[in-house]
Amino acid sequence: MVLKRLQNIIIKEWQVLFTDLNSALMITILPLLIVGQGVLYIWLAFRFGGEEMLTTGLFRNAVENFSNVTPQIQHLTEKEQLIVFLLHQFNFFLLLIPIMVAVSVSTFSIVEEKTTGSLEALLATPVHTWELLLGKALSGAIPALIVTWYSAGVYLLAINALGWGHLIGHVTTVTWYLTLFLMTPAVTMLSFMLGVIGSAKAKDAKSAQNLVIVIILPILALIAVQVTGVIWFTPILTAVLALVIVFVDIIVLRIAVNLFHRESILTEWH
Amino acid sequence: MPVIETFELSRQFGDRIAVDNLNISVNAGEIVGLLGPNGAGKTTTIRMLAGMIAPTKGYAVVSGHRTDRNVEKLHETIGLLTETQGFYARLSARRNLEYFANFYQNVNPKIQVEKYLKITGLWDRRNDRVGTFSKGMKQRLALARALLHEPQVIFLDEPTSGLDPEAAGEIRQIIRSLRQAGRTIFLCTHNLYEAELICNRVAVINTRLLALDTVEQLRKRFFRHQIIIRLENLSDGLVSTVKSLPFVKEMLQENDTLILQLNNPENDRTELIRKIIEAGGRVVTVTDRQYPLEDIYLKLVREESGHGP
Repeated sequence: MVLKRLQNIIIKEWQVLFTDLNSALMITILPLLIVGQGVLYIWLAFRFGGEEMLTTGLFRNAVENFSNVTPQIQHLTEKEQLIVFLLHQFNFFLLLIPIMVAVSVSTFSIVEEKTTGSLEALLATPVHTWELLLGKALSGAIPALIVTWYSAGVYLLAINALGWGHLIGHVTTVTWYLTLFLMTPAVTMLSFMLGVIGSAKAKDAKSAQNLVIVIILPILALIAVQVTGVIWFTPILTAVLALVIVFVDIIVLRIAVNLFHRESILTEWH
Repeated sequence: MPVIETFELSRQFGDRIAVDNLNISVNAGEIVGLLGPNGAGKTTTIRMLAGMIAPTKGYAVVSGHRTDRNVEKLHETIGLLTETQGFYARLSARRNLEYFANFYQNVNPKIQVEKYLKITGLWDRRNDRVGTFSKGMKQRLALARALLHEPQVIFLDEPTSGLDPEAAGEIRQIIRSLRQAGRTIFLCTHNLYEAELICNRVAVINTRLLALDTVEQLRKRFFRHQIIIRLENLSDGLVSTVKSLPFVKEMLQENDTLILQLNNPENDRTELIRKIIEAGGRVVTVTDRQYPLEDIYLKLVREESGHGP
């Protein structure tokens, strides 16, 4: 019954989502823009900055740190090491995709039902709060995840197109796969759960979005830490961090259920 | 046997008391109308009975379930038509209903959706987006949604509010058919005509319960029964004769019409007519004065709020 209800919520959410052009474009086009932008920046940085970038302390230190934790790139030229370092940044940059999709999609998930009045009818059915919230989070997280994975594929094709195909093996490391298939799903669910909480607590879609942007800032910090080279995510660190986020996902779902006051939603919304 | 029972059911929002010590009992197969002015606690009462909000004092039992415990079980057995229709405008009528039907155990969504789309007369529009529906159609669809899982107890919050007379009539027809099928219906409405037309009993509340009875009994309780007799040849002698009859309690004369209160209207009426005819009176019409539910309602509410009759 639980699976049937989750499936029911997910399919309905998709039907509502993909019959709205703005939402459909947000999910399908935005990730490609992020990929295109990322590849363009790397290409521009290398095209116009090139090896001169290595003269700056920040980049030199970051590339040296990177080289120390990934000895397999030490046989490459400095120029190639710099390219691989820049390409690696995209690893965590991909996390931006589900976060952005979460902000745009999940924030509307509950608010819209409050404003149209369908939430009261929904709460009059035997659905459990946790089923409703998990179903709504999954309905956004699944397409966000799929789109993130296809964006990663597009990214690899773009690297090849730029003539750096021989370096792809240095990009698709164990950390890359762990990030893509363990960290990204965990972060995606976290973003959507936080989005649903924001949506349930907010009075309207705009304030829901503001609330969600604030609560997902810590996730963005991961990207900043990686880009500046303060911490380099090794496979073990990536796996541990991903598992911690999975644990946080479960806690956040429990918090979301506790924060979802059916009574307040019904009595404070007219 | 009662299927809805409340025991000092109360609800407070901050300092404001919305519902105060409500004790009501509704039997299986009854239609009970809940009447009251705005802010009287009608919607709060329905929401408490439907397990949507919890009471702050007292409790209610609906279909054998406490409404403040295990609401998911309660929701399997009751139907609720909410004040706002609340549909997914971009989805079809059929898809909307299927979505809600899928939350219930032991319900075949395909069969139930088809059944209620046909009952509510929306089968031909089943594949149209709900956003294109009129208010009356949406209300019929909302009623279908409340019935999908065949609940024996149905709560209807303002089912005909804002509908044109034809659409309201269609909704009332469906409610009547539900009564014939033995369902228990608890109906919250501002429409006194509607309440009188379809309810077995009415409850008037203004935060607390003011009255709960059949309209007929309330009429007897609050207004004396009056018989209105129009005559062709009303003379002073005839007036005196009627006034002197022992079972006539009070009498008023308005032109060619007598308005009478009798000791026992049911038994004395025939005797009264006979006496008038014997005294040479030519009777044109005999009617009972029907006080509409509105008069009873206004009397109750005004007395409660201290504005007098």
